[in-house]
Amino acid sequence: MERGPAQLERMIMKRIIPGLLSVLVLGLSMLTTAMAQTKSTVYYLVPTLLDEFQTGSVSALEMFLEQTGYEMKTLNADNKTDVQQSQMNDVIALKPAAIVLAAVDFNALKPSIEAARAAGIPVVEFDRQITSTPSDFTSVAGTIEIGQVAADQAEEMLKTRHGEVKGKILQVLGDPGDPYTLDIQKGFEEKMIAFPDVTIVSVPAMQWEASNAGTIVSDQMLANPDIDLIFLHAAHLSVAAVASLEAAGKKPGEVMMMSSNGAPVGLDLIRKGWLNTEVEQPLYAQAAAIAMFMDKIVEKQEIKPGEYDVLGLKSVVTIEDWGPNIKIPGAVITKENVDDPAFWGNMKPPTAAVESVK
Amino acid sequence: MTPRTRKTLEFVLDNLVWFMLIFVLAIFSALIPNYFQPGIFVNIIEASSVLGVMSIGLALVIITGHMDLSVESVAALSAMAVGILFCSAGIGLGITFSPEWLMIPVSLLVACTIGALIGLFNGFLIVKLKMSAFIITLASFIWVRGIVLAVSGGRSAQDLAPAIRWFAIERFLGIPLSAWIAITCFLVFSILIAKTPFGRHLVMIGGNETATFRAGIRVTRNLIIAFMIAGAIAGLAGWLLAVRTSGATANLGVGLLFNAFAAVVIGGVSLKGGVSALPGVYAGVLLLSSINTAINLMGLPANYTQVIHGLLVLAAVLLDTFKQRLRQRLA
Repeated sequence: MERGPAQLERMIMKRIIPGLLSVLVLGLSMLTTAMAQTKSTVYYLVPTLLDEFQTGSVSALEMFLEQTGYEMKTLNADNKTDVQQSQMNDVIALKPAAIVLAAVDFNALKPSIEAARAAGIPVVEFDRQITSTPSDFTSVAGTIEIGQVAADQAEEMLKTRHGEVKGKILQVLGDPGDPYTLDIQKGFEEKMIAFPDVTIVSVPAMQWEASNAGTIVSDQMLANPDIDLIFLHAAHLSVAAVASLEAAGKKPGEVMMMSSNGAPVGLDLIRKGWLNTEVEQPLYAQAAAIAMFMDKIVEKQEIKPGEYDVLGLKSVVTIEDWGPNIKIPGAVITKENVDDPAFWGNMKPPTAAVESVK
Repeated sequence: MTPRTRKTLEFVLDNLVWFMLIFVLAIFSALIPNYFQPGIFVNIIEASSVLGVMSIGLALVIITGHMDLSVESVAALSAMAVGILFCSAGIGLGITFSPEWLMIPVSLLVACTIGALIGLFNGFLIVKLKMSAFIITLASFIWVRGIVLAVSGGRSAQDLAPAIRWFAIERFLGIPLSAWIAITCFLVFSILIAKTPFGRHLVMIGGNETATFRAGIRVTRNLIIAFMIAGAIAGLAGWLLAVRTSGATANLGVGLLFNAFAAVVIGGVSLKGGVSALPGVYAGVLLLSSINTAINLMGLPANYTQVIHGLLVLAAVLLDTFKQRLRQRLA
């Protein structure tokens, strides 16, 4: 017997919807049970999970915080400032031991940070420095500094190729609405201004989308065939850039390439000879530093300035207007050291557990 | 107005988007250094391939008076599936076949099947259960992108098998094979819409669904097939995306949906349905790609590029509206 649309609809209403509701209730009850068991919970507000650095930061923070006795929960803002503001409000209501924030927008989160601290919840800035209001701790490699390190590398590469620092650089930015990429650009261009014979062509890859970067490279290699070096602000953009160079008949090394953040894809491209340099954001050390200081942050103890060893990297804590700030040097990855397991892009997390700073 | 003038004017209006494209290319060539060269025009055609194929699927559904917001995420999921299966680095499993060319039909089948299944799911809920296409496909836009994130863990797959990458590297008449795929799709679907009963039924459904039903045409079946085709074509767009970028990242294809809508509207397809203009849609895609290339070459400060992009698209749509009004006066 054939069923008509009305009968079909009734069947779905009777069988499927109650089933879905049961699953929803079961899920909610499991969630409630899990919440009831929580002790010393730290919330991590990650800006997006659409890039490898951010995904890696979730697992690294979770691992290191667990070693120092904290459970971590993560909320993803999908690169939306308003979503992250709402998440901050929700998390404040849950009264966690601390909030680790990697802000979508460096300054828009200021009122939320102030609200959390007013409620007695320490706020830790991860990867993205906020200087407009005090936080309880900041762990960064420094986005401007990444640009400056990249500029040093560009200087060296151009000198090797031409005997002096001159030539043309194509700088492929990320989304122009993201302060992260604008800071790298600032650091890079501030240093490169010392070399008047270097021309920098800067073009943004909208929404950090890889195929946009590929199109930019294809177009620019035709408009400016004398480009010596391509500097991409994230390793995943390099993959599409390489695909475009390959389609244009270029071989590895013909055009020098450099990118930043040290993601696994970037390290693979170094091994294949396409990428000359990666400026790494020291993901593991940045995350480990937060775990090392978390006891002091939660107990609101003084964090003393000075030099600390974070996973073998000499890192400096300074007391700034915005609070204690640990700066961890970003490493330069080349063909010579690409297999060093210390680089997070090699996906070999440190085996030794981190310990809380006494 | 003489019949000849009227005929000429109608021809211009029917193909206005192509004239707009020629005008824009001429202006950019004259004003932007290095724009006027064969390589740049090939780049424009090549960069249009993914958006072009995706716009065909979207146009098919819009012609029927519905919409499909899920095409961007479907393309991303198909690209990620192809990336995971046939890439050898990152999260790629590096699956190979012997002979190697077998990877081409298998990867295409995987990409298109994923798309067709999601299209079937959308179509069933929208057509059979009479749910809103906007809401259902919006939900699919979200959950399908969520699956991309879940299966990739936010990581990338790269180094697509050379047998598949071949389509992005090899050229015929100076144009990459991937772009020829898009051109072929436009030709095939333009004929399908204009010359086959199925295509004409889709246009009729978009014009008046009730009247079409009363004329004895199987509206439900045709609509579900339209959603399935839109999904399968979005899957093909994802396959092209993976081929073009030699892999897949979790945010691959982000932003394509709005460009696809812009291309469809600029191309002359009415959002109310019942109007088919696939060749115009291809011109719309080429127009958007020309604008993007111009922005890439102009070296504008990063902060202003989105404003310029938006304004140029707005100008194109305003011109299209002007065309519609002029046509109404002629009628």
